[in-house]
Amino acid sequence: MQSMTRRSLLSVGAAAGVGAALGIRPALAGDSALYEAAKAEGELNLYWGSYEQKTIDELIAAFTARYPGIGVNLLRQASQTVYTRLRLEMDNDAVQCDSLGTTNVLHYNELKSLDALRPYKPAAAEMIPEAFRTLDPDGLFHVGAISLICINRSASVEGPKSWAEMVGGGFAGEISCGSPAHSGDVAHWTVAMLAKFGEDFLRDFAAQKPKIGQSSVDSVTDILAGERTVGASAPYSYTLTQKAAGNPIDVTMPSDDAILNLGITGIPAKAPHPNAGQLFNEFLYSPEASQVLVANNWPSLRSDVPWAGGLSLDQIGWYRNPAEGLTEAMAEAIEKWKDIVA
Amino acid sequence: MTSQPRPALSGIIGHNLPRWLVLTLVTLALLLLVAHPLGWILWNSFHDDSTKELTLGNYQRMFTRPSLWIPIVNSLLLAFSVALFSTLIGVPLAWLVARTDMPGRGFIRAMTMTAFVTPSFIGALGWILLAAPRAGWLNVGWRNLTGAEGQLLDIYTMTGTIFVCAIYTVPYTFALVASAFDEMAVELEDAATTLGAGKWRTMLSITVPLASPAFLVGFILSFIQGMTLFGVPAFLLTPSGTRVVTTQLAEFYQLFPPEIFLAAAYCMPLLIVTAGLFWIRRRILGRRQFTTIGGKTRRTRRIALGARARWLGFAFAMIVPVTAVILPFAALLLVSLSKAWGMGPVSGNFTLDWYRWALLENGETQRAIVNSLLYAGIAASVCMLLGVVVAYISERRLFSGAAILGALATTPIIIPGIVLSVGFFSAYTRPPFGFYGSAVLVIAAFVATFLPIAYSQGTTTIKGISPDLERAARSVGAGEIRTFLSITAPLMRTGLVSGWLLVFIPIMRELSVAIFLVSPKTNVMTTLIYNYKDGGNYEAVAATSVVLLAGTLVIVLLARLLVGQGSRRTRKTPTTDSAA
Repeated sequence: MQSMTRRSLLSVGAAAGVGAALGIRPALAGDSALYEAAKAEGELNLYWGSYEQKTIDELIAAFTARYPGIGVNLLRQASQTVYTRLRLEMDNDAVQCDSLGTTNVLHYNELKSLDALRPYKPAAAEMIPEAFRTLDPDGLFHVGAISLICINRSASVEGPKSWAEMVGGGFAGEISCGSPAHSGDVAHWTVAMLAKFGEDFLRDFAAQKPKIGQSSVDSVTDILAGERTVGASAPYSYTLTQKAAGNPIDVTMPSDDAILNLGITGIPAKAPHPNAGQLFNEFLYSPEASQVLVANNWPSLRSDVPWAGGLSLDQIGWYRNPAEGLTEAMAEAIEKWKDIVA
Repeated sequence: MTSQPRPALSGIIGHNLPRWLVLTLVTLALLLLVAHPLGWILWNSFHDDSTKELTLGNYQRMFTRPSLWIPIVNSLLLAFSVALFSTLIGVPLAWLVARTDMPGRGFIRAMTMTAFVTPSFIGALGWILLAAPRAGWLNVGWRNLTGAEGQLLDIYTMTGTIFVCAIYTVPYTFALVASAFDEMAVELEDAATTLGAGKWRTMLSITVPLASPAFLVGFILSFIQGMTLFGVPAFLLTPSGTRVVTTQLAEFYQLFPPEIFLAAAYCMPLLIVTAGLFWIRRRILGRRQFTTIGGKTRRTRRIALGARARWLGFAFAMIVPVTAVILPFAALLLVSLSKAWGMGPVSGNFTLDWYRWALLENGETQRAIVNSLLYAGIAASVCMLLGVVVAYISERRLFSGAAILGALATTPIIIPGIVLSVGFFSAYTRPPFGFYGSAVLVIAAFVATFLPIAYSQGTTTIKGISPDLERAARSVGAGEIRTFLSITAPLMRTGLVSGWLLVFIPIMRELSVAIFLVSPKTNVMTTLIYNYKDGGNYEAVAATSVVLLAGTLVIVLLARLLVGQGSRRTRKTPTTDSAA
């Protein structure tokens, strides 16, 4: 059972206040039947890898405030770990997961091929940014998070303005990066770089002698520690959160496009509390959830709620890997990375 | 070694029902805890990850692809170096603390236990802050001091990894060997002295050989630690692109689609390596006697080192406290007390918020603290009970298949936690067990993982107790179980408490075995801390690490108070220099 912390309550209160100020009203109609069904189920097991601990904690707190009577149990581990867990549960006929949220669309393609997802159409679907409104024509999975991959840098340096400039030679020995073999976000970034610039990009990148860690957040750590000054495949939201905390770090939206990797969510067909799972997933598109996201520097999932700093998707250049052939593209990108970079 | 005469099979059950009841229970427990999950791992290893069909393909891939066997070679190198260094440091350290008049012995003992309590991946985080080539505080200090341009230390190397693994593995060797030295009687040393041996010769020809079972177990456990540690190589070797077995396994699980069955096959060579180590141990120790606890009054005597050697010894003994506790925890403490750690130790950046958050505000951390302490306490107790009984059966050869029980109890430790986690998942999720999501499953996995330590410690302790004492009890009519309970067990008390700590502490530090078994309600501290690290929240990582350390230390201190600072039966005599 997730407990409400004072901090979460404050943030939810602030979110509601901001929402009211913006003239956004919670959509109450239409979900009462689902709420009743979810309440009858009594609890909900979230298996989430999208969003860091603080943000998901606050989302749960806001959900519990909006829908009392449903206990929320959170298993927050890395995306691939929660997915492997669900697959083990499926293999052993012991599915506990009611809502899966990971950063890899391939998980959902596989679950779909196994007929292991439960379809639903979010009541607030029309509020989702149009580009991500219909990820799956059968409604088996939906957007759960918008993750932007950009360049981050120590506040004391200018840093590169584009991916091309980053590998141009001016930042040799200064770059930190995660590994596509360990992180879904970094893998998506590698696929995107190969698609946009070809293999030469990886060769030029390797020539800059980057420090390779595991996760995309490792670049933030290296910059804050002073070990490197520039982060490639850097997490937009997390970097801004660290900046807001007072750390000397900032982000640069690359002029040759930020890379967008969607967090996806779905409900397992054998979920023990499917209605509660759906209620939570639909709650992600509510104004309350959007405000929690904005407060934590995450892009909101509603087109009518601007991000922190007043940004929105239309104002930035972004690129997303096409879903077709992504499995092969990811495997190939990891192989090339191992051959060329590390 | 002395063996009991084996009674004829006929009539045994009628004459000694309790004995057979214990044997049956122990065998059943080992089958459930070890054979069943390991059987699943073995079964899985012969299946294809995508088609789920029976195959030898996983093994074929493993031996034909250099990218898969190179990590095994790297791991062997890492493990051997870790075992070597932790023996070279741990054994003299134990001797200095247990048998000499070196100053600050209590402090060194306490600090070495503190190092033991620290999960090594947390130590690695501390050392990244200290010795990252460019920004590590020690390197910055070095450059400021000398005006040099390069770095003094680079933690992101194999040497750095061996160093960090070794300093957190020394306490294993230390605890085992110090316990053996604590227990040792001085009659044999006195005999050597009477015959004219000097104190150093006595030490080399009597004291050290008598403690050699503990050295060997220490070496083997350190080797296994070096093979199975995940966090340290994951943090320190990734930048150089060097893979070891555990990081390669993590890759199998992190890639899509995950290669769980290949990972199972990947562990099998490790089983052979461990079996080899324990076989060598048996060959070396099997026929020799190491009885240190007889029926006579015992006392230990400390060797007077002399003024200069005392302080030299102290300087050597400070290696572990300084490198494994003081430096990394100073770094972590600084981070945990920062509002934003990237700002560094400047005014206005100090806060206790992260501790308030960890202890008072965050329900998840509070629950994980309770879970960790509770599960580790229960698991360590069950583990010791089972390990000691198996050791007793096996050492006293109470029945002809006793060695098999010993082998079973030894097996799980080499299986890296993440694979064992899947073995337990497969074994206990389906009916009739259905333990998935419950604390029972997490505790059972902890018991199985650390049973080899309990068994080894039990064996070492039993090897030190003369069977004459048991024979005396038997000769006045006591049965085997009564003899064990009233003679053997009380004599083992110190060994049992050390053993309990040797199991309790690694459970508190264990990272991987719980990974697929914990549920939101049964989460433990290490998985939580690792998740915070995964999310990049270093202040939270540092604060919860300090809390974990403090919680474990409290339990360790309580346990030591319970037995009155180790060997309470031993009447220590004042320091003498009689042998000189």
